[in-house]
Amino acid sequence: MSFRIRIPSIWRAKRFLYRLEGYRCSRCGEFHTHSRYVCRRCRSRELTLERLPTRVRLVDYTVVHQATRNNEDNLPFIVGLVETPDGVKILGQITDCEPEDLAPGMELETTFRRIGVDGDANIIVYGYKFRPEIH
Amino acid sequence: MGTAAVVGVGHTQFGQRSDMTLAELAWHAIKEALQDAGITQRDVDYVVTSNVGGWSSEPLPAILVNEYSGLGDVGVMRVEAACASGSAAIRAAYNAVASREAEIALAVGVEKMTESPTLQAVELLGRAGNFFWEFEQFGLTFPAYYALYATAYINQYGAKEEDLAAVAVKNHFYGSLNSLAHFQKKISIEDVMSSRYIAWPLKLYDCSPITDGAAAVVIASEDMARKLTDTPVWIRGIGVASDTSNLSRRQNFLGLASTVKAADEAYRKAGIDKTEAVRRLDLAEVHDCFTIAEILAYEDLGFVGRGEGYALAREGETYKGGLIPVNLDGGLKAKGHPIGATGVSMAVEAVKQLRQQNAKARQADIKNGYALTHNVGGTGHYAYVTIYSLNRPTQS
Ligand SMILES: [Zn+2]
Repeated sequence: MSFRIRIPSIWRAKRFLYRLEGYRCSRCGEFHTHSRYVCRRCRSRELTLERLPTRVRLVDYTVVHQATRNNEDNLPFIVGLVETPDGVKILGQITDCEPEDLAPGMELETTFRRIGVDGDANIIVYGYKFRPEIH
Repeated sequence: MGTAAVVGVGHTQFGQRSDMTLAELAWHAIKEALQDAGITQRDVDYVVTSNVGGWSSEPLPAILVNEYSGLGDVGVMRVEAACASGSAAIRAAYNAVASREAEIALAVGVEKMTESPTLQAVELLGRAGNFFWEFEQFGLTFPAYYALYATAYINQYGAKEEDLAAVAVKNHFYGSLNSLAHFQKKISIEDVMSSRYIAWPLKLYDCSPITDGAAAVVIASEDMARKLTDTPVWIRGIGVASDTSNLSRRQNFLGLASTVKAADEAYRKAGIDKTEAVRRLDLAEVHDCFTIAEILAYEDLGFVGRGEGYALAREGETYKGGLIPVNLDGGLKAKGHPIGATGVSMAVEAVKQLRQQNAKARQADIKNGYALTHNVGGTGHYAYVTIYSLNRPTQS
Protein backbone atom coordinates (compact mmCIF):
# COMPACT_ATOMS: atom_id res chain seq x y z
CA MET A 1 0.00 0.00 0.00
CA SER A 2 1.31 3.43 -0.75
CA PHE A 3 -1.19 5.91 0.61
CA ARG A 4 1.15 7.21 3.28
CA ILE A 5 2.23 10.81 3.26
CA ARG A 6 4.69 10.71 6.08
CA ILE A 7 7.05 13.64 5.96
CA PRO A 8 4.52 16.29 7.06
CA SER A 9 3.14 13.99 9.74
CA ILE A 10 6.62 13.39 11.15
CA TRP A 11 7.35 17.13 10.95
CA ARG A 12 4.24 17.96 12.97
CA ALA A 13 5.21 15.42 15.63
CA LYS A 14 8.92 16.19 15.78
CA ARG A 15 8.95 17.80 19.19
CA PHE A 16 7.57 14.70 20.83
CA LEU A 17 9.09 12.06 18.57
CA TYR A 18 12.60 13.54 18.76
CA ARG A 19 12.68 15.20 22.16
CA LEU A 20 9.70 13.86 24.17
CA GLU A 21 8.39 17.40 24.45
CA GLY A 22 4.68 17.88 24.86
CA TYR A 23 2.12 20.23 26.31
CA ARG A 24 1.22 20.12 30.00
CA CYS A 25 -1.95 21.72 31.31
CA SER A 26 -0.97 24.14 34.08
CA ARG A 27 -4.39 23.82 35.69
CA CYS A 28 -4.99 20.04 35.87
CA GLY A 29 -1.64 18.55 34.88
CA GLU A 30 -2.83 16.54 31.85
CA PHE A 31 0.02 15.91 29.39
CA HIS A 32 -0.58 16.05 25.61
CA THR A 33 1.88 14.73 23.03
CA HIS A 34 0.74 17.16 20.33
CA SER A 35 0.32 20.90 20.50
CA ARG A 36 -3.22 21.84 21.54
CA TYR A 37 -5.03 25.05 22.32
CA VAL A 38 -7.34 23.49 24.90
CA CYS A 39 -6.69 20.82 27.53
CA ARG A 40 -8.61 17.69 26.62
CA ARG A 41 -9.39 16.98 30.25
CA CYS A 42 -10.32 20.31 31.86
CA ARG A 43 -10.68 22.65 28.83
CA SER A 44 -8.13 25.08 30.23
CA ARG A 45 -6.16 27.11 27.67
CA GLU A 46 -3.03 27.30 29.79
CA LEU A 47 -0.74 24.73 28.20
CA THR A 48 3.01 24.94 28.51
CA LEU A 49 5.78 23.13 26.65
CA GLU A 50 7.49 20.53 28.82
CA ARG A 51 10.05 17.82 28.26
CA LEU A 52 9.28 14.44 29.83
CA PRO A 53 11.87 12.87 32.13
CA THR A 54 14.27 10.48 30.41
CA ARG A 55 13.82 7.81 33.09
CA VAL A 56 10.56 5.90 33.07
CA ARG A 57 9.04 2.74 34.55
CA LEU A 58 7.88 -0.22 32.43
CA VAL A 59 4.17 -0.95 32.93
CA ASP A 60 3.39 -3.56 30.29
CA TYR A 61 4.86 -4.86 27.03
CA THR A 62 4.41 -7.22 24.10
CA VAL A 63 6.74 -8.75 21.52
CA VAL A 64 5.53 -8.25 17.95
CA HIS A 65 6.38 -11.18 15.67
CA GLN A 66 4.27 -10.25 12.66
CA ALA A 67 4.28 -6.69 11.38
CA THR A 68 3.86 -4.71 8.20
CA ARG A 69 6.35 -3.58 5.65
CA ASN A 70 7.82 -0.55 7.39
CA ASN A 71 8.73 -2.65 10.43
CA GLU A 72 9.43 -5.99 8.81
CA ASP A 73 13.23 -5.75 8.83
CA ASN A 74 13.16 -5.35 12.59
CA LEU A 75 11.20 -8.45 13.71
CA PRO A 76 10.60 -9.46 16.38
CA PHE A 77 10.49 -6.18 18.30
CA ILE A 78 9.28 -5.15 21.74
CA VAL A 79 6.64 -2.46 22.28
CA GLY A 80 6.13 -1.21 25.80
CA LEU A 81 3.78 0.99 27.76
CA VAL A 82 5.82 3.08 30.18
CA GLU A 83 5.01 5.57 32.91
CA THR A 84 6.93 8.67 33.94
CA PRO A 85 7.42 9.41 37.67
CA ASP A 86 4.45 11.81 37.58
CA GLY A 87 2.13 9.32 35.91
CA VAL A 88 2.24 10.14 32.18
CA LYS A 89 1.84 6.93 30.20
CA ILE A 90 3.34 6.61 26.72
CA LEU A 91 4.01 3.84 24.24
CA GLY A 92 7.28 3.12 22.50
CA GLN A 93 9.58 0.40 21.26
CA ILE A 94 12.11 -1.08 23.67
CA THR A 95 15.58 -1.84 22.36
CA ASP A 96 19.07 -3.05 23.38
CA CYS A 97 17.68 -6.02 25.29
CA GLU A 98 15.82 -9.30 24.96
CA PRO A 99 12.21 -9.77 26.12
CA GLU A 100 13.49 -12.05 28.92
CA ASP A 101 15.43 -9.12 30.37
CA LEU A 102 12.23 -7.19 31.01
CA ALA A 103 9.78 -7.20 33.88
CA PRO A 104 6.96 -4.82 34.76
CA GLY A 105 8.15 -2.15 37.15
CA MET A 106 11.74 -1.97 35.93
CA GLU A 107 13.40 1.33 35.06
CA LEU A 108 14.07 2.27 31.45
CA GLU A 109 15.75 5.27 29.87
CA THR A 110 15.05 7.01 26.59
CA THR A 111 17.32 6.82 23.58
CA PHE A 112 17.15 8.30 20.06
CA ARG A 113 16.91 5.69 17.31
CA ARG A 114 15.90 4.77 13.81
CA ILE A 115 12.25 3.68 14.09
CA GLY A 116 11.66 2.31 10.62
CA VAL A 117 11.40 3.17 6.97
CA ASP A 118 8.52 4.69 5.10
CA GLY A 119 6.98 4.28 1.69
CA ASP A 120 8.48 3.25 -1.63
CA ALA A 121 11.47 5.58 -1.15
CA ASN A 122 12.34 3.93 2.19
CA ILE A 123 12.66 7.24 3.97
CA ILE A 124 14.20 6.64 7.38
CA VAL A 125 12.06 7.68 10.33
CA TYR A 126 13.79 8.55 13.61
CA GLY A 127 12.40 8.93 17.09
CA TYR A 128 12.63 7.86 20.71
CA LYS A 129 12.86 4.30 22.02
CA PHE A 130 13.38 2.95 25.53
CA ARG A 131 16.15 0.69 26.82
CA PRO A 132 17.18 -0.76 30.17
CA GLU A 133 19.26 1.72 32.16
CA ILE A 134 22.99 1.54 31.67
CA HIS A 135 24.78 2.00 34.99
CA MET B 1 -40.02 4.88 21.63
CA GLY B 2 -42.00 1.92 20.39
CA THR B 3 -40.90 -1.67 20.61
CA ALA B 4 -39.18 -3.60 17.85
CA ALA B 5 -38.41 -7.24 17.21
CA VAL B 6 -36.25 -9.34 14.94
CA VAL B 7 -38.53 -11.29 12.61
CA GLY B 8 -36.09 -12.67 10.07
CA VAL B 9 -32.45 -13.72 9.96
CA GLY B 10 -30.03 -14.80 7.24
CA HIS B 11 -26.40 -15.90 7.30
CA THR B 12 -24.00 -17.02 4.57
CA GLN B 13 -21.26 -19.58 4.80
CA PHE B 14 -18.25 -17.87 6.42
CA GLY B 15 -14.80 -18.54 4.98
CA GLN B 16 -12.83 -17.65 1.91
CA ARG B 17 -15.60 -16.67 -0.49
CA SER B 18 -13.71 -16.09 -3.74
CA ASP B 19 -16.84 -17.35 -5.51
CA MET B 20 -18.86 -14.18 -4.95
CA THR B 21 -18.68 -10.39 -5.09
CA LEU B 22 -19.45 -8.31 -2.02
CA ALA B 23 -22.98 -7.57 -3.27
CA GLU B 24 -23.75 -11.22 -4.10
CA LEU B 25 -22.55 -12.30 -0.69
CA ALA B 26 -24.77 -9.71 1.01
CA TRP B 27 -27.75 -10.73 -1.14
CA HIS B 28 -27.51 -14.36 -0.07
CA ALA B 29 -27.88 -13.28 3.57
CA ILE B 30 -30.63 -10.77 2.73
CA LYS B 31 -32.62 -13.30 0.67
CA GLU B 32 -32.59 -15.78 3.52
CA ALA B 33 -33.61 -13.11 6.05
CA LEU B 34 -36.51 -11.91 3.86
CA GLN B 35 -37.72 -15.50 3.35
CA ASP B 36 -37.40 -16.19 7.07
CA ALA B 37 -39.56 -13.12 7.78
CA GLY B 38 -42.02 -14.03 5.02
CA ILE B 39 -41.64 -10.69 3.25
CA THR B 40 -40.19 -9.37 0.00
CA GLN B 41 -37.85 -6.50 -0.84
CA ARG B 42 -40.88 -4.21 -1.34
CA ASP B 43 -41.82 -4.50 2.34
CA VAL B 44 -38.51 -3.03 3.54
CA ASP B 45 -38.66 0.70 4.41
CA TYR B 46 -35.06 1.33 5.37
CA VAL B 47 -31.69 -0.39 5.06
CA VAL B 48 -28.48 -0.03 7.07
CA THR B 49 -25.34 -1.69 5.75
CA SER B 50 -22.33 -2.45 7.90
CA ASN B 51 -19.05 -2.70 6.04
CA VAL B 52 -15.62 -1.56 7.13
CA GLY B 53 -14.09 -1.90 3.68
CA GLY B 54 -10.61 -1.08 2.52
CA TRP B 55 -10.07 -4.71 1.53
CA SER B 56 -12.92 -4.88 -0.96
CA SER B 57 -12.27 -1.59 -2.78
CA GLU B 58 -15.99 -0.79 -2.84
CA PRO B 59 -16.37 2.67 -1.33
CA LEU B 60 -20.17 2.69 -1.66
CA PRO B 61 -21.14 -0.79 -0.50
CA ALA B 62 -24.58 0.23 0.76
CA ILE B 63 -25.77 1.36 -2.66
CA LEU B 64 -24.17 -1.60 -4.37
CA VAL B 65 -25.90 -4.04 -2.05
CA ASN B 66 -29.28 -2.29 -2.31
CA GLU B 67 -29.20 -2.27 -6.09
CA TYR B 68 -28.02 -5.86 -6.42
CA SER B 69 -30.64 -7.02 -3.93
CA GLY B 70 -33.53 -5.17 -5.61
CA LEU B 71 -34.28 -3.12 -2.51
CA GLY B 72 -35.38 -0.19 -4.67
CA ASP B 73 -35.04 3.45 -3.78
CA VAL B 74 -35.51 3.29 -0.01
CA GLY B 75 -33.20 5.15 2.36
CA VAL B 76 -29.91 3.48 3.04
CA MET B 77 -26.56 4.21 4.63
CA ARG B 78 -23.36 2.45 5.50
CA VAL B 79 -22.21 2.55 9.13
CA GLU B 80 -18.76 2.02 10.56
CA ALA B 81 -17.67 1.30 14.12
CA ALA B 82 -14.67 -0.92 13.29
CA CYS B 83 -15.39 -4.54 14.29
CA ALA B 84 -18.59 -3.40 16.05
CA SER B 85 -20.07 -2.01 12.83
CA GLY B 86 -22.61 -4.84 12.62
CA SER B 87 -24.12 -3.94 15.97
CA ALA B 88 -24.08 -0.26 14.99
CA ALA B 89 -26.17 -1.21 11.93
CA ILE B 90 -28.63 -3.10 14.11
CA ARG B 91 -28.91 -0.16 16.49
CA ALA B 92 -29.58 2.25 13.61
CA ALA B 93 -32.19 -0.09 12.10
CA TYR B 94 -33.76 -0.66 15.53
CA ASN B 95 -33.95 3.08 16.14
CA ALA B 96 -35.63 3.63 12.77
CA VAL B 97 -38.36 1.15 13.73
CA ALA B 98 -38.68 2.04 17.43
CA SER B 99 -39.02 5.73 16.53
CA ARG B 100 -41.73 4.73 14.01
CA GLU B 101 -39.84 6.17 11.04
CA ALA B 102 -39.96 2.68 9.51
CA GLU B 103 -42.25 -0.33 9.88
CA ILE B 104 -39.61 -2.75 8.67
CA ALA B 105 -35.87 -2.10 8.55
CA LEU B 106 -33.08 -4.32 7.36
CA ALA B 107 -29.59 -4.47 8.89
CA VAL B 108 -26.97 -6.11 6.68
CA GLY B 109 -23.35 -6.82 7.53
CA VAL B 110 -20.91 -7.84 4.83
CA GLU B 111 -17.15 -8.03 4.52
CA LYS B 112 -14.75 -9.49 1.99
CA MET B 113 -11.30 -9.56 3.55
CA THR B 114 -9.48 -12.44 1.90
CA GLU B 115 -8.83 -10.66 -1.37
CA SER B 116 -6.19 -8.52 0.35
CA PRO B 117 -2.74 -10.04 0.97
CA THR B 118 -2.29 -10.96 4.65
CA LEU B 119 0.24 -8.21 5.36
CA GLN B 120 -2.09 -5.62 3.89
CA ALA B 121 -4.90 -6.93 6.08
CA VAL B 122 -2.54 -6.75 9.08
CA GLU B 123 -1.87 -3.14 8.16
CA LEU B 124 -5.54 -2.24 7.68
CA LEU B 125 -6.41 -3.82 11.03
CA GLY B 126 -3.39 -2.24 12.72
CA ARG B 127 -4.60 1.14 11.57
CA ALA B 128 -7.73 0.55 13.66
CA GLY B 129 -6.30 2.24 16.72
CA ASN B 130 -4.51 5.50 16.90
CA PHE B 131 -2.88 5.19 13.51
CA PHE B 132 -0.08 7.71 13.83
CA TRP B 133 0.99 7.22 17.42
CA GLU B 134 0.58 3.50 17.80
CA PHE B 135 0.66 1.68 14.49
CA GLU B 136 2.90 3.94 12.45
CA GLN B 137 5.51 4.92 15.01
CA PHE B 138 5.74 1.89 17.22
CA GLY B 139 4.61 -0.94 14.98
CA LEU B 140 1.75 -1.99 17.23
CA THR B 141 -0.47 -4.35 15.28
CA PHE B 142 -4.04 -5.27 16.17
CA PRO B 143 -2.94 -8.47 17.97
CA ALA B 144 -0.32 -6.37 19.79
CA TYR B 145 -2.98 -4.04 21.22
CA TYR B 146 -4.73 -7.02 22.78
CA ALA B 147 -1.38 -8.56 23.76
CA LEU B 148 -0.84 -5.56 26.06
CA TYR B 149 -4.13 -6.46 27.76
CA ALA B 150 -3.11 -10.12 27.93
CA THR B 151 0.24 -9.47 29.60
CA ALA B 152 -1.31 -7.04 32.07
CA TYR B 153 -4.03 -9.58 32.92
CA ILE B 154 -1.57 -12.46 33.29
CA ASN B 155 0.74 -10.38 35.49
CA GLN B 156 -2.08 -9.17 37.70
CA TYR B 157 -4.01 -12.39 38.25
CA GLY B 158 -1.57 -15.21 37.51
CA ALA B 159 -3.52 -16.57 34.54
CA LYS B 160 -1.60 -18.90 32.23
CA GLU B 161 -1.29 -18.94 28.46
CA GLU B 162 -3.06 -22.32 28.67
CA ASP B 163 -6.12 -20.56 30.11
CA LEU B 164 -6.30 -18.34 27.04
CA ALA B 165 -5.86 -21.46 24.91
CA ALA B 166 -8.90 -23.02 26.58
CA VAL B 167 -11.06 -20.32 24.99
CA ALA B 168 -9.75 -21.22 21.52
CA VAL B 169 -10.33 -24.94 22.16
CA LYS B 170 -13.94 -24.32 23.24
CA ASN B 171 -14.73 -22.07 20.32
CA HIS B 172 -13.20 -24.47 17.81
CA PHE B 173 -15.24 -27.28 19.40
CA TYR B 174 -18.45 -25.35 18.68
CA GLY B 175 -17.15 -24.28 15.28
CA SER B 176 -16.88 -27.99 14.45
CA LEU B 177 -20.64 -28.24 15.06
CA ASN B 178 -21.54 -25.17 12.98
CA SER B 179 -21.76 -25.85 9.25
CA LEU B 180 -21.53 -22.10 8.51
CA ALA B 181 -18.24 -21.66 10.40
CA HIS B 182 -14.95 -20.83 8.67
CA PHE B 183 -13.07 -23.47 10.72
CA GLN B 184 -14.90 -26.69 11.51
CA LYS B 185 -12.00 -28.55 13.05
CA LYS B 186 -11.50 -29.27 16.75
CA ILE B 187 -8.15 -28.26 18.23
CA SER B 188 -6.31 -29.13 21.45
CA ILE B 189 -4.55 -27.02 24.07
CA GLU B 190 -1.28 -28.39 22.62
CA ASP B 191 -2.22 -27.16 19.14
CA VAL B 192 -2.68 -23.65 20.51
CA MET B 193 0.44 -23.73 22.68
CA SER B 194 2.65 -24.92 19.84
CA SER B 195 1.42 -22.33 17.32
CA ARG B 196 3.78 -19.47 16.58
CA TYR B 197 3.71 -16.14 18.41
CA ILE B 198 2.02 -13.27 16.61
CA ALA B 199 2.33 -10.76 19.46
CA TRP B 200 3.53 -12.39 22.67
CA PRO B 201 1.74 -13.85 24.61
CA LEU B 202 -0.82 -14.23 21.81
CA LYS B 203 -0.18 -17.02 19.34
CA LEU B 204 -1.69 -17.74 15.96
CA TYR B 205 -4.44 -19.88 17.53
CA ASP B 206 -5.33 -17.11 19.97
CA CYS B 207 -6.35 -14.94 17.01
CA SER B 208 -9.54 -14.85 14.97
CA PRO B 209 -9.03 -15.34 11.23
CA ILE B 210 -9.43 -13.12 8.20
CA THR B 211 -12.79 -14.15 6.76
CA ASP B 212 -15.43 -13.30 4.15
CA GLY B 213 -19.11 -13.44 4.98
CA ALA B 214 -22.45 -11.72 5.33
CA ALA B 215 -25.42 -11.74 7.70
CA ALA B 216 -28.76 -9.93 7.75
CA VAL B 217 -31.63 -9.32 10.16
CA VAL B 218 -35.12 -7.95 9.55
CA ILE B 219 -36.41 -5.71 12.34
CA ALA B 220 -40.13 -4.93 12.55
CA SER B 221 -42.47 -2.80 14.64
CA GLU B 222 -44.63 -4.58 17.21
CA ASP B 223 -47.78 -4.57 15.03
CA MET B 224 -45.86 -5.82 12.01
CA ALA B 225 -43.95 -8.40 14.04
CA ARG B 226 -47.18 -9.87 15.38
CA LYS B 227 -48.54 -10.18 11.81
CA LEU B 228 -45.39 -11.85 10.53
CA THR B 229 -44.46 -14.37 13.19
CA ASP B 230 -45.46 -16.22 16.35
CA THR B 231 -41.95 -15.99 17.73
CA PRO B 232 -40.72 -12.40 17.46
CA VAL B 233 -37.39 -11.90 19.21
CA TRP B 234 -37.62 -8.54 20.97
CA ILE B 235 -34.70 -6.17 21.17
CA ARG B 236 -34.88 -5.41 24.88
CA GLY B 237 -31.90 -3.14 25.32
CA ILE B 238 -28.93 -1.80 23.44
CA GLY B 239 -26.01 -0.21 25.26
CA VAL B 240 -23.29 1.65 23.43
CA ALA B 241 -20.06 3.30 24.60
CA SER B 242 -16.56 4.26 23.45
CA ASP B 243 -13.06 4.80 24.80
CA THR B 244 -9.84 6.71 24.03
CA SER B 245 -8.21 6.20 20.64
CA ASN B 246 -4.75 6.00 22.18
CA LEU B 247 -4.25 2.99 24.45
CA SER B 248 -1.73 4.85 26.59
CA ARG B 249 -4.65 6.90 27.94
CA ARG B 250 -6.62 3.89 29.22
CA GLN B 251 -7.18 3.67 32.98
CA ASN B 252 -5.96 0.07 33.10
CA PHE B 253 -5.49 -2.98 30.89
CA LEU B 254 -7.54 -5.43 32.92
CA GLY B 255 -10.85 -4.86 31.17
CA LEU B 256 -12.59 -2.73 28.56
CA ALA B 257 -14.30 0.27 30.16
CA SER B 258 -16.48 0.71 27.08
CA THR B 259 -17.88 -2.80 27.48
CA VAL B 260 -18.70 -2.18 31.13
CA LYS B 261 -20.55 1.03 30.28
CA ALA B 262 -22.42 -0.50 27.34
CA ALA B 263 -23.37 -3.57 29.41
CA ASP B 264 -24.68 -1.46 32.28
CA GLU B 265 -26.90 0.45 29.86
CA ALA B 266 -28.18 -2.69 28.12
CA TYR B 267 -28.94 -4.50 31.41
CA ARG B 268 -30.73 -1.45 32.79
CA LYS B 269 -32.91 -1.13 29.68
CA ALA B 270 -33.71 -4.85 29.74
CA GLY B 271 -34.48 -4.82 33.46
CA ILE B 272 -31.69 -7.25 34.33
CA ASP B 273 -29.65 -6.88 37.51
CA LYS B 274 -26.03 -7.16 36.35
CA THR B 275 -25.09 -9.25 39.39
CA GLU B 276 -27.71 -11.79 38.32
CA ALA B 277 -26.86 -11.77 34.62
CA VAL B 278 -25.74 -15.40 34.44
CA ARG B 279 -29.02 -16.53 36.00
CA ARG B 280 -31.13 -14.50 33.60
CA LEU B 281 -29.28 -15.10 30.32
CA ASP B 282 -29.58 -18.45 28.55
CA LEU B 283 -26.48 -17.75 26.47
CA ALA B 284 -24.09 -15.03 25.35
CA GLU B 285 -22.28 -14.20 22.15
CA VAL B 286 -19.12 -12.33 23.11
CA HIS B 287 -16.42 -10.64 21.07
CA ASP B 288 -13.51 -13.11 21.03
CA CYS B 289 -11.35 -11.47 18.35
CA PHE B 290 -8.53 -12.77 20.55
CA THR B 291 -8.83 -15.33 23.34
CA ILE B 292 -7.97 -12.74 26.00
CA ALA B 293 -10.89 -10.63 24.77
CA GLU B 294 -13.38 -13.37 25.66
CA ILE B 295 -11.93 -13.66 29.19
CA LEU B 296 -12.09 -9.88 29.70
CA ALA B 297 -15.69 -9.99 28.44
CA TYR B 298 -16.71 -12.52 31.12
CA GLU B 299 -15.67 -9.97 33.72
CA ASP B 300 -16.77 -6.78 31.96
CA LEU B 301 -20.24 -8.24 31.36
CA GLY B 302 -20.54 -9.23 35.02
CA PHE B 303 -20.61 -13.02 34.54
CA VAL B 304 -17.89 -13.29 37.22
CA GLY B 305 -15.86 -10.91 39.37
CA ARG B 306 -12.54 -9.25 38.48
CA GLY B 307 -9.72 -11.75 38.05
CA GLU B 308 -12.09 -14.71 37.87
CA GLY B 309 -12.63 -14.88 34.12
CA TYR B 310 -9.70 -17.14 33.33
CA ALA B 311 -10.92 -19.76 35.82
CA LEU B 312 -14.25 -19.83 33.98
CA ALA B 313 -12.36 -20.70 30.79
CA ARG B 314 -10.05 -23.17 32.52
CA GLU B 315 -12.94 -25.03 34.17
CA GLY B 316 -15.09 -25.17 31.04
CA GLU B 317 -17.90 -23.16 32.61
CA THR B 318 -18.76 -21.45 29.34
CA TYR B 319 -19.57 -24.65 27.49
CA LYS B 320 -23.22 -25.66 27.11
CA GLY B 321 -24.39 -26.84 30.53
CA GLY B 322 -21.88 -24.61 32.38
CA LEU B 323 -22.45 -21.37 34.30
CA ILE B 324 -23.29 -19.59 31.03
CA PRO B 325 -22.80 -20.92 27.49
CA VAL B 326 -20.69 -18.54 25.41
CA ASN B 327 -20.17 -18.54 21.65
CA LEU B 328 -21.96 -21.79 20.82
CA ASP B 329 -21.52 -20.90 17.13
CA GLY B 330 -17.70 -21.02 17.37
CA GLY B 331 -17.29 -17.31 18.05
CA LEU B 332 -15.11 -15.01 15.99
CA LYS B 333 -12.28 -17.48 16.64
CA ALA B 334 -13.69 -20.44 14.69
CA LYS B 335 -16.79 -19.12 12.92
CA GLY B 336 -14.65 -16.32 11.51
CA HIS B 337 -14.55 -12.54 11.81
CA PRO B 338 -15.60 -10.73 8.63
CA ILE B 339 -15.51 -7.55 10.63
CA GLY B 340 -18.53 -5.68 9.22
CA ALA B 341 -20.64 -8.85 9.34
CA THR B 342 -19.70 -10.01 12.83
CA GLY B 343 -22.20 -7.99 14.88
CA VAL B 344 -25.07 -9.01 12.61
CA SER B 345 -23.89 -12.62 12.70
CA MET B 346 -24.04 -12.50 16.51
CA ALA B 347 -27.65 -11.29 16.30
CA VAL B 348 -28.54 -14.10 13.89
CA GLU B 349 -27.06 -16.63 16.32
CA ALA B 350 -28.84 -15.11 19.33
CA VAL B 351 -32.18 -15.26 17.48
CA LYS B 352 -31.69 -18.84 16.29
CA GLN B 353 -30.68 -19.91 19.78
CA LEU B 354 -33.77 -18.32 21.33
CA ARG B 355 -35.96 -19.95 18.67
CA GLN B 356 -34.12 -23.25 19.34
CA GLN B 357 -33.26 -23.76 15.69
CA ASN B 358 -29.71 -25.03 16.09
CA ALA B 359 -28.37 -28.57 15.95
CA LYS B 360 -28.91 -30.14 19.39
CA ALA B 361 -25.21 -30.43 20.26
CA ARG B 362 -24.79 -26.66 20.18
CA GLN B 363 -28.31 -25.57 21.14
CA ALA B 364 -28.44 -23.85 24.54
CA ASP B 365 -31.22 -24.74 26.95
CA ILE B 366 -33.69 -21.88 26.67
CA LYS B 367 -35.22 -21.38 30.12
CA ASN B 368 -35.64 -17.62 30.60
CA GLY B 369 -35.65 -16.58 26.96
CA TYR B 370 -32.79 -14.05 27.15
CA ALA B 371 -29.61 -13.84 25.06
CA LEU B 372 -26.84 -11.23 25.07
CA THR B 373 -24.54 -10.14 22.26
CA HIS B 374 -21.33 -8.22 22.93
CA ASN B 375 -19.55 -6.63 19.99
CA VAL B 376 -16.35 -4.61 20.31
CA GLY B 377 -14.74 -2.32 17.74
CA GLY B 378 -10.97 -1.93 17.82
CA THR B 379 -9.51 -2.56 21.26
CA GLY B 380 -12.57 -1.39 23.17
CA HIS B 381 -12.72 1.78 21.11
CA TYR B 382 -16.38 1.02 20.41
CA ALA B 383 -18.61 -1.32 22.38
CA TYR B 384 -22.16 -2.50 21.82
CA VAL B 385 -24.11 -4.80 24.11
CA THR B 386 -27.55 -5.94 22.98
CA ILE B 387 -30.10 -8.03 24.83
CA TYR B 388 -32.60 -10.10 22.87
CA SER B 389 -35.60 -11.81 24.39
CA LEU B 390 -38.62 -13.95 23.63
CA ASN B 391 -40.43 -11.82 26.22
CA ARG B 392 -41.97 -8.59 25.06
CA PRO B 393 -41.00 -5.47 27.02
CA THR B 394 -43.59 -4.75 29.72
CA GLN B 395 -44.01 -1.07 28.84
CA SER B 396 -43.31 0.78 25.64
ZN1 LIG C 1 -6.30 20.53 32.12
